[in-house]
Amino acid sequence: MSTTPIDRQHQLREATRRHFFSQCSMGLGSIALASLLAEHGLGSEVDSQTSNPLAPKATHFPAKAKNVIFLFMAGGPSQLETFDYKPKLNELSGQPIPTSFVEGKRFAFMSSSHRNDLLGVRPAFKQYGDNGTWVSDLLPSTAGIVDDISIVKTCKTDLFNHAPAKLFMNTGGGLFGRPSLGAWVTYGIGSECDNLPGFVVLQSGPRGPRGGAMHWSSGMLPSTYQGVPLRSQGDPILNLSTPPNISAAEQLQLVETVRALNLKRLVETGDDEISTRINAYEMAYRMQSSAPELMETSSETAETLALYGIKDPNEASYARNCLLARRLVERGVRFVQLYHTNWDHHGGPTENLETHLPAICKEIDQASAALIKDLDQRGLLDDTLVIWGGEFGRTPMGEVRESTGRNHHIDAFTMWFAGGGFKRGVVYGETDEFGFGPIDKSVHVRDIHATILHQLGLDHERLKVRFQGLDVRLTGVEEAHVLHDILA
Amino acid sequence: MPMTCIFRLVLACAWTSSSFWFASVQSWADEPLSYDRDVRPILSENCFACHGFDENSRESGLRLDTRLGAVEEGGAIEPGSPDSSLMMVRVVSTDADELMPPAHTGKALTDQQKAILSRWIEQGAEYEEHWAFAPPQRRPIPEFAGLDHPLDRFVQSRLHKEGLSLSPLAPPSTLIRRLSLDLIGLPPSPQEVSDFEQAAAIDPAGAYSQLVERLLSSSHFGERWGRWWLDQARYADSHGYSIDGEREIWKYRDWVIGALNADMGFDEFTIEQLAGDLLPDPSVEQKIATGFHRNTQINQEGGVDPEQFRVDSVFDRVATTGNVWLGLSIGCAQCHDHKFDPITQQEYYRLFAFLNNQREPALKIYADETTQELQLEEPLVERKLANEQSLQNILADYVASLLEWESQLGEASRSALSEPLQGILKAEAEKRPVDAQARLLIGSGLLAASGSEQRQLELEQLLESHSQVVAHLARGVSTLVLEELSERRATHVFIKGDFTRPDAEVLPGTPAVLHPLPSSERIPNRLDLARWLVDDANPLTPRVLANRVWQQLFGRGIVETESDFGYQGSVPSHPELLDWLALELRENHWSLKELLRKIVTSHTYQQSSHVRAELVAVDPLNLLLGRQNRLRLDAEVIRDVALVASGLFSPKLGGPPVYPPIPEGVMTQGQVSRVWKTSEGEDRYRRGLYTFVYRVTPPPALNVFDAPDGLSSCTRRIRSNTPLQALALLNDPAFVDFAVALERRIASEGLETAFKLCTSREPTVEELRLLAQLNPLNQARALLNLDETITRE
Repeated sequence: MSTTPIDRQHQLREATRRHFFSQCSMGLGSIALASLLAEHGLGSEVDSQTSNPLAPKATHFPAKAKNVIFLFMAGGPSQLETFDYKPKLNELSGQPIPTSFVEGKRFAFMSSSHRNDLLGVRPAFKQYGDNGTWVSDLLPSTAGIVDDISIVKTCKTDLFNHAPAKLFMNTGGGLFGRPSLGAWVTYGIGSECDNLPGFVVLQSGPRGPRGGAMHWSSGMLPSTYQGVPLRSQGDPILNLSTPPNISAAEQLQLVETVRALNLKRLVETGDDEISTRINAYEMAYRMQSSAPELMETSSETAETLALYGIKDPNEASYARNCLLARRLVERGVRFVQLYHTNWDHHGGPTENLETHLPAICKEIDQASAALIKDLDQRGLLDDTLVIWGGEFGRTPMGEVRESTGRNHHIDAFTMWFAGGGFKRGVVYGETDEFGFGPIDKSVHVRDIHATILHQLGLDHERLKVRFQGLDVRLTGVEEAHVLHDILA
Repeated sequence: MPMTCIFRLVLACAWTSSSFWFASVQSWADEPLSYDRDVRPILSENCFACHGFDENSRESGLRLDTRLGAVEEGGAIEPGSPDSSLMMVRVVSTDADELMPPAHTGKALTDQQKAILSRWIEQGAEYEEHWAFAPPQRRPIPEFAGLDHPLDRFVQSRLHKEGLSLSPLAPPSTLIRRLSLDLIGLPPSPQEVSDFEQAAAIDPAGAYSQLVERLLSSSHFGERWGRWWLDQARYADSHGYSIDGEREIWKYRDWVIGALNADMGFDEFTIEQLAGDLLPDPSVEQKIATGFHRNTQINQEGGVDPEQFRVDSVFDRVATTGNVWLGLSIGCAQCHDHKFDPITQQEYYRLFAFLNNQREPALKIYADETTQELQLEEPLVERKLANEQSLQNILADYVASLLEWESQLGEASRSALSEPLQGILKAEAEKRPVDAQARLLIGSGLLAASGSEQRQLELEQLLESHSQVVAHLARGVSTLVLEELSERRATHVFIKGDFTRPDAEVLPGTPAVLHPLPSSERIPNRLDLARWLVDDANPLTPRVLANRVWQQLFGRGIVETESDFGYQGSVPSHPELLDWLALELRENHWSLKELLRKIVTSHTYQQSSHVRAELVAVDPLNLLLGRQNRLRLDAEVIRDVALVASGLFSPKLGGPPVYPPIPEGVMTQGQVSRVWKTSEGEDRYRRGLYTFVYRVTPPPALNVFDAPDGLSSCTRRIRSNTPLQALALLNDPAFVDFAVALERRIASEGLETAFKLCTSREPTVEELRLLAQLNPLNQARALLNLDETITRE
């Protein structure tokens, strides 16, 4: 806001140079525009800096990471079958957990299938990497990258139903209507990509995440900051394709005419919202070619496809989404979120620990590890923070259903972080002998949020928006702590 | 910094409360500072969180929100001597340990703010009652030569202080488009534009006033302003949360449209929605109106605790009532005493108690086909049963003879009977409904044969009546309503707002800072709350409502923070004008149409929206209204304008929500995939407000233009401006449909008319030349994509 009128006029010309140089036929050269604006006394009012809400913005302090890829394991993966090794559970399987653990606690399905008997763990655990980090057999590829990631075993959330807990992980609140992490980040620092949205969502698995589009909502922020789902079928972005029977040349001619007419109106009215709209049409037009190009994963080398375990590059899968995530951050997209369902292993006929957990682990293991390796090889990992985790974990106690399963658990669950200024090869936080609660270093969702923002150069206490008389922040009103111990 | 709407909002707040007023203060250096206007915003933003109303978070026992606390008890301010006032010493300190506010709060005072505090102390540190809690007052209307309308005189007198003046009137073509879009949400036809231009050339004021009356009496008025109210009511057609199943509550939407068209006073409008069920002998309509507070979400997910979500819906009702009527963020006191406004947590739960005492049923209602009168299920069922009893009584005399007749029926005579009768005979006699049996008796000819024509006539009349009532019952529609519980549900304060931690029990009551509830022997209920909200002694409701109407017509309220009239809210840009509007509203029987008439007939409303250099220099955000504002149309109206321009528009009013075409793959975005059965015929082309809205997967063309999600009350829409909007207007199949239809109009009526259909004005030669380079379909698409087409100028 401190630029002089001359600066601004210069910026305007810069921003619109592209149109005018090619637009002699439209009758509006850059000189003509400048003089028209000046004639209306508007030379300094039309501020091109104001016209792209997604333009990169200054951070609160120097950033360690530029981009985020959040691998959201929707449904609540069991920490006990993956990262949190508890031999005691096998020893005491079938016996009730001491009442001191569960007194006064509330669980989902309390009136029906919830039980207090401990359930043993089937998969075997081994130690990997320089620090002998325990990882189960279900995640062999992830076991191979433990020296590159920070594993946090004491994550804690407040809510134990899926949709509210997912919202909590995404928005810091359990009710609909608040901005999600990706929206906050693009609102705070914009995006470095000018031909794709700043916040992109990818989905795989048998169904959408519980709560649906609310997880990438912009809440009370402008819809500019809402996550844009990239769809695996049809147009990757809604309404991306030029309508049938309209040629590319006709579409270009249309966009150029609309721009010329809008410019005339801008000069007539002096309303700089029109320059924002002109920019929006420009970006929309660019998206029409850049988004299909982005989706062309078949252009990747056979080696890369093999790294991710992609057999058919055109088939929708979690692995292809991981590869797309890399391609997105390569292009400067700020925040990419992948959802993979379904991790809700209660023990029902389609969701048990015997068959379905190993299957879903297999779906995500190779590609998640490949993403880290691929980013690292390309020098992108230092700038890109990758997060792996779900909305909560699962109880050490088993559930009584058709086969074995575990109930939702919020006191301690595991997530991992890689790149973006996080330490490599760290295991943080320890849980009790059953993996029920933390014995030290509990990490609340708010702390995770504060840390993610911190790495992006944003202070979670200063990133806020005024709504209905309140300053709304991602981390809310309670204390939140940046996890300096696991930052490089 | 990018100036998206939110940024504008934030900047404008900061600006209103500091630099702008400071500049003004400097320009009238002799005028004393006002605590309310100049000082409180600074203290509230920077100090009250730790030195304010909430006792539990008060630091060092010091409160600065009252003179008693700051001067007499706290000794932090010495009136007249800023240099010896501890507060000033701390505020200007260069010692980081001493400095207030402390650095860790992320707050810091500007030099201007420090100077204001210092001057205020020097002038005696006088406190004032917060403007919004004091009753609105009639102030003298400033005199201005050439300006008759009181509203214009208030606005011009403020502009005059900055050496500015109102802009000239907008041209007639702009005025008719502006007024039509604002009052009925539809653009004028080219014929209406030219008629108005001709009439205005002869008698501008008369023509304009006639136009205002025509639009105010249009039945589309209720649709336009109904949508405005439905935003605040958080109306949508599904349950929300993760499952987001369909719900039926459109009768409430139609009630709102009807009430606004009838210009129901806002007092009655309030009472019926909040407590229609508690009125003496309530009508069906009054019960439907209670749907207002049924627009909360319902969680259908497995494993949830229903009480938790019932309590959440009551939290939402308290917050919504506070925002919509009082313009207060009452919801802040859910977990603790309000940090800024004088509302205790105890008082919050006393308000909660009013709204914690109802059943939440679905009401089945039936419209009489001829009279359109609404009826409930019970009398209809009674009528049906009575008919059946009468039929039974007659049939009783013929049981034996009918059985005999049936047993003697041969194959041939059986197949000679009418088809319906053959159908009846297929069921066993004792399983047949009574009306079927009666038809059979008539068909058997037994009555005619025995000379009982009178009986036959009676039977036929009863059957006729029976079919009517059955058909009537089949046309039932259900809608969600509130019904007071006969036994009061106890309300407790919840510790930290957590429903599993109940504390002391409380009774219904209103906050002490506002006018008292009329005293009564009995415990007050929702009806008392509703009446209290529209009581003449309430300083907030008329101001909040007038401000929100103003916001709709100018893009920004006189109070920018339209749902926060508390200490943290922005101060009014034109306080005297706001009071004038509030009192005019209340004294004219709370008539919304009268308030609109007053505002839209002002010069301030009718002036040009073009930016003027001299305004920009002093008032770049146009807070002082030296011009109108250009406003991007609401999501639904963008659709409506395209429908009208293309000629596809269906003017049908009300009824069940419709399913216009949407892009593929949208309805699988939620947890549960929903089927979108695209409507046929004219229902494809209904106004945007009738589109079925799932809260979780809203229609993309509405969502992308910031239509609210119905998850919480929306008192002001954001106006974003994004590439996805461009993609929607360029490529969305529905918009391609509109373009194809507009292309046909270009062929038959010409490009110039098509331009007028979209913008209501004549194109320039240059504009026509640019468009003429395109093929006709692209001409139509270009017109529908113009910024001007989707903007009210």
